[in-house]
Amino acid sequence: MPEPTEEQRKRWEEKIKNMDPEELQELQRQQCIFCQIVTGKIPSKKAYEDSACLAILDINPAAKGHILLLPKEHYAIMPQVPEKVLGHLSTVAKNLSQVLLKVLRADGTTIFIANGAAAGQRAQHFMIHLIPRKTGDGVLPAEEGLVGTEMAAKVKAAIEQKLLALLGGKKPMQKDLAQKAESEQETKLPLKEAEIFITSAAAKRYHKEKCPFAQNIPAEKKIILSKEEAEKSARKPCTCVSGKRIPLVKPASSSKPKQSKGLPAKKTSGSKASAIPKTKRGGEASLDDIAHLFK
Amino acid sequence: MECEYCDMLSGKSKAQSLYEDDAVIVAVKDMAYTPGQITIFPRKHFTILEQVPDEIMARCLAVADKTSRAVFEVFQAEGTNILIQNGLGAGQKVPHFAIEVVPRREGDGLNLQWQPKEMSEDDLDITAHQLAEEIQKLGDFTAPKKKEEPKEKKEIKIEEKESSNYLVKSLRRIP
Repeated sequence: MPEPTEEQRKRWEEKIKNMDPEELQELQRQQCIFCQIVTGKIPSKKAYEDSACLAILDINPAAKGHILLLPKEHYAIMPQVPEKVLGHLSTVAKNLSQVLLKVLRADGTTIFIANGAAAGQRAQHFMIHLIPRKTGDGVLPAEEGLVGTEMAAKVKAAIEQKLLALLGGKKPMQKDLAQKAESEQETKLPLKEAEIFITSAAAKRYHKEKCPFAQNIPAEKKIILSKEEAEKSARKPCTCVSGKRIPLVKPASSSKPKQSKGLPAKKTSGSKASAIPKTKRGGEASLDDIAHLFK
Repeated sequence: MECEYCDMLSGKSKAQSLYEDDAVIVAVKDMAYTPGQITIFPRKHFTILEQVPDEIMARCLAVADKTSRAVFEVFQAEGTNILIQNGLGAGQKVPHFAIEVVPRREGDGLNLQWQPKEMSEDDLDITAHQLAEEIQKLGDFTAPKKKEEPKEKKEIKIEEKESSNYLVKSLRRIP
């Protein structure tokens, strides 16, 4: 295929920009090799098929019997896959794994999902790899390393809240479907809460709920803003909003009058930033610290 | 057998729990492929995937999906791997079924990619056939199991009806 000219590329980009999500999905589907395998346009070695999913053999397998389990519907990555479909896939994967163990006399199976190119995903169609394993086959050579309990604590501090928001609190869940539906609604609520900002009438800044400055505002003076309202108002974001860091300095009780006196916002942000000690308090992890360790 | 995850639930281990419900635990271990890795495992002890009931497995995967979303957002990961090492041959370390969610970045140095093998068309065909045959033997494993029980009960009821009919018939014959 000849390289598209600059003009063609621009026209395509323009076209894609103007497409609505349904059209975009249709385009992705047309381009997707695995969707063509599902429809039978491209031949494949099928091991299992039902109304919702298809299991085929990888033509470049990690080992004999390497299965790709894919939903028939096109989803690029796991977060797009509905929970119901994921549940169905998990049942099929379990049974496929059992069959691999039996038929190929495998010592184990590796079940592997890659989301994103950085994780080794090659095709734009979500799939589950099932790889039959033999002891010492070296298929996945990587070994877990010691990250230490301190790191584990940091990870916990960083992600715990987000996870609880997504999973709907630390409540024990009932298996009833009705309650499941309820809990799904609940999971959405805390997400909204995360976007609530706190300020007071006199304040020049708005804070996240968790920010110690926000907690210092007496309840009767508290004003709750949505993200949009906060951005529209003349107030500036606190470091807890703009930076990813929660201010570690305990604000003096005088911080309120200071703000009401109308100190220039920029100045305060500068002095605050320098005033923040770099030592970390308790288990509070900065995300940058964790991200840095990847490099 | 000693189990690190069951120890964690009884408070003996250092691993930290992030979320718990009836069926599933989400925790951070001090061993990981990349920092930020999170482990999901069922509360009840199952050694391998094949022992885990469908509902619990589905819940584990759903929680793994949500965890993966949280990892994307919080650690600004560029990708995630969801990994199940099922059995000693697959490198399973703890004798308790678990799903690992591994945050990934471009150039993080972690190699979770296998060397592709060349396989002949015939070999693939034979393997696919073998597997398909064995899977067919399992029957319709995706059908909800709850439905099977009422069916059995219905059959019993029908038998009862027949027997009662038989009795009625025989009663009618008596005069």
